[in-house]
Amino acid sequence: MSRSFANKRLSKELIKIKDHVPPGIAVVKSDSLEEWQMDIKVLDDNPLYKDQTYRLKFTFSAKYPIEPPEVQFITLPPSSETPRAIPMHPHIYSNGIICLDLLGQSGWSPVQTVESVCMSLQSMLTANTKDERPPGDHEFVMHNRRRIRDINFVYEDDNV
Amino acid sequence: MMDLQEFLALDADCDTEDQVDLRALEFVSSYDSHLMCPICHCPFVQPVRLQCDHVFCEKCLRSAITTFRSAESDEFPCPSCRTPTSQVSMSVPRLLINMCDEIQVRCPLAGEGCQELIPRGHIQAHVDKYCGYQLVPCPDESCDKKTRRKDLQAENRCRHSYCRCSRCEEDVMEQDYEEHDKELCPSLETTCTGCGTSVLQRTLETHIEACPEVVSSCAASKYGCPTKIRRAEIATHEQQCPLVAIGPYFEAQNTRLNSLELTMRHLQQRNEIFEDGMANIRTTLVESSRIGDRNGTDFADETEESADRTSNVFSSNATTYLLSLHESLREEVSQMSHALTDLDARASMTIMNECLRIKEDMAHTNAAVNSIRMQVQWLMNPRLHNGTRAGGVRPNASTGNESRSQLASAPGPGNVAGPSLGPLRPRRPSDSGREGTKL
Repeated sequence: MSRSFANKRLSKELIKIKDHVPPGIAVVKSDSLEEWQMDIKVLDDNPLYKDQTYRLKFTFSAKYPIEPPEVQFITLPPSSETPRAIPMHPHIYSNGIICLDLLGQSGWSPVQTVESVCMSLQSMLTANTKDERPPGDHEFVMHNRRRIRDINFVYEDDNV
Repeated sequence: MMDLQEFLALDADCDTEDQVDLRALEFVSSYDSHLMCPICHCPFVQPVRLQCDHVFCEKCLRSAITTFRSAESDEFPCPSCRTPTSQVSMSVPRLLINMCDEIQVRCPLAGEGCQELIPRGHIQAHVDKYCGYQLVPCPDESCDKKTRRKDLQAENRCRHSYCRCSRCEEDVMEQDYEEHDKELCPSLETTCTGCGTSVLQRTLETHIEACPEVVSSCAASKYGCPTKIRRAEIATHEQQCPLVAIGPYFEAQNTRLNSLELTMRHLQQRNEIFEDGMANIRTTLVESSRIGDRNGTDFADETEESADRTSNVFSSNATTYLLSLHESLREEVSQMSHALTDLDARASMTIMNECLRIKEDMAHTNAAVNSIRMQVQWLMNPRLHNGTRAGGVRPNASTGNESRSQLASAPGPGNVAGPSLGPLRPRRPSDSGREGTKL
C-alpha cells in the first residue's frame, strides 16, 4: 500500500486537531506526515505531574491507521527553551517507551486517532499515584536496541 | 450477510486509473461527523455494515480485516467496539448512502480551473462526461497531444500548432491564444482607476499599492474612523485623527482581553476537572461507608471493586445522584414516621382522658343506681311483709335449700318479689327465677 492512504487520513486529522485542540494537548511539529510531535499536560492536581508538559513523538508507518503509530515520550535538555522530561509512571520506561496495550498491535484499532491516543495517555498519567519506573527499567533501557513495534510487551497490570 | 471469506474474496477492483478517488476530494459543504468512516475519516465510500451495526467503507474494512483477523478463528473484532464479528452485510440504509453522496465537493480538476461544485455522487459522471477541463485525446489522430474538453470546438480539429503573439512576440499554442490575448500577455496595457495613467497589466498591482491618487482608508479604520481619502492626503489626516492616536491603547486593551479570555477558558477547564474529582471522591466515600456497614468479610475485594467503580466517572456520577436521591427520600420517610408517632401519642392521650372522664361518670351513675335500688328495696319490704301475712303460713315441702327458712315462699301479688325474705336476709336476685319455676 502506498503512503497515500495514511497521508490522506493524517491530513484530515491535522485539519481537525488544528480546528479544535482538546485541553492540555498541543501540536508542536507536524510538518511531515510521517512524524508528529505533541505536547501533553495533565490537567488535574496530581502532584506527580503538576505544571509539567511532556513531549510525545508519533511515528506513522505507511499502513497507518491499520497499523498503530509508534508513540514515545522524548526529552529536551533543560537548557532548551522548552525543557521536557519523561514522566514518572510504572508503565513508562526512562527512555520514554510506553507500555500500553492501546499502542500494540493487539490493542490498537484503526478508529483511534492521534487525539484519542493523547487523551488516553493523559488519563493514564492522571490516574497514576506511584512515583516509580517499571520493574527492570534499568536493564531494559541499557539493553534495548529493538524498535518499539518489535518489543513484546506483556500487559498484565490493569489497575493503572 | 456474508462471512469474512466471501467478503475478502470480493475483488476490490475499484482502484483503477480513471476512477475519481473519492477520499482525495475537497469537501466544500460541512457534513455530519457520523457520516465519516472512522478508519479513513472521509464520508463513507461504498459503506458496509457489521453485525454490531457499525458501518465502514468497504475498502477500509477489508484492510482492517486482513490485519486484525485472528488466524485460527473466522472472526475479527469490530474496530469500533471490538465485538467479535464473522458476518459482513453489504446492505446499508439507502438513506446513509444518499446523505454521503449529496455532500458537495469541488471538482478534482479545480487546479486546472474548473470551478464547479458537485454532489459527490455525481462527481464521476462530471469528470467522465461534462468537466470542460478534463483532458481528452486530440481529435486529429496524427497529433499525440491532449486537449481540454471545452476547447474541442465544433469543427473538431487539432489546435496544437503554434502562432505568434503580435505584441509580445511570443509563440503561443492556438488553443491558448485567446486567453493569452485577453489576459496573460505581459504587453497588455490597462488604466489605473485612481490617476488615469495607463500602465502595463503585469505592473498594475504594484502601481495601485503606490499610486498617490488611489482612495484608501485611514489606518484607524478598524477602530471606526470612516475617512476615505486619496493616499496623498492620508498622512495629514492621520496626524490629526484622534482614533489613530488612541489606536495603541485599543490594541493593548485587545491583547489584554484576549489573554483574559484565555485564562478564563483555562480556569473553566480546571473547574470542570475539579468537579469531576469531587464527584469521584463522593462516590468513593459512599462506597466505603457501605462496605463499613456490611462488616464485609472480604474487605480487599470490595475496595478493589469500588476502585473499579470510581474509575468510571460517568457511571459514578449517576450513582452519586441516585444515592443522594435515596438519602433524601429516606430522610423524608423518617420525618413522616416521626410525625406519625407524634400523632399517635396525642390521639391516645385524648382517648385516655375521655375514658377517665367516662369512667368517673359511670362510677357516679352506678352509685346513683345502687342508692335507688336500696330505696326501692326499702320501699318494697313492708309490702312484701304485708302480703305474706295476708296469705297465711303454708307448710313448706320444698327442697332442703329452703328448709332453713321459716317462711315459705308464697305467690305474691306481683310474683315479682323475691322469695320469703326476712328482714335480716339480704336480697338474692338469682332466687327469684328459681322461685318462679317452682310455682
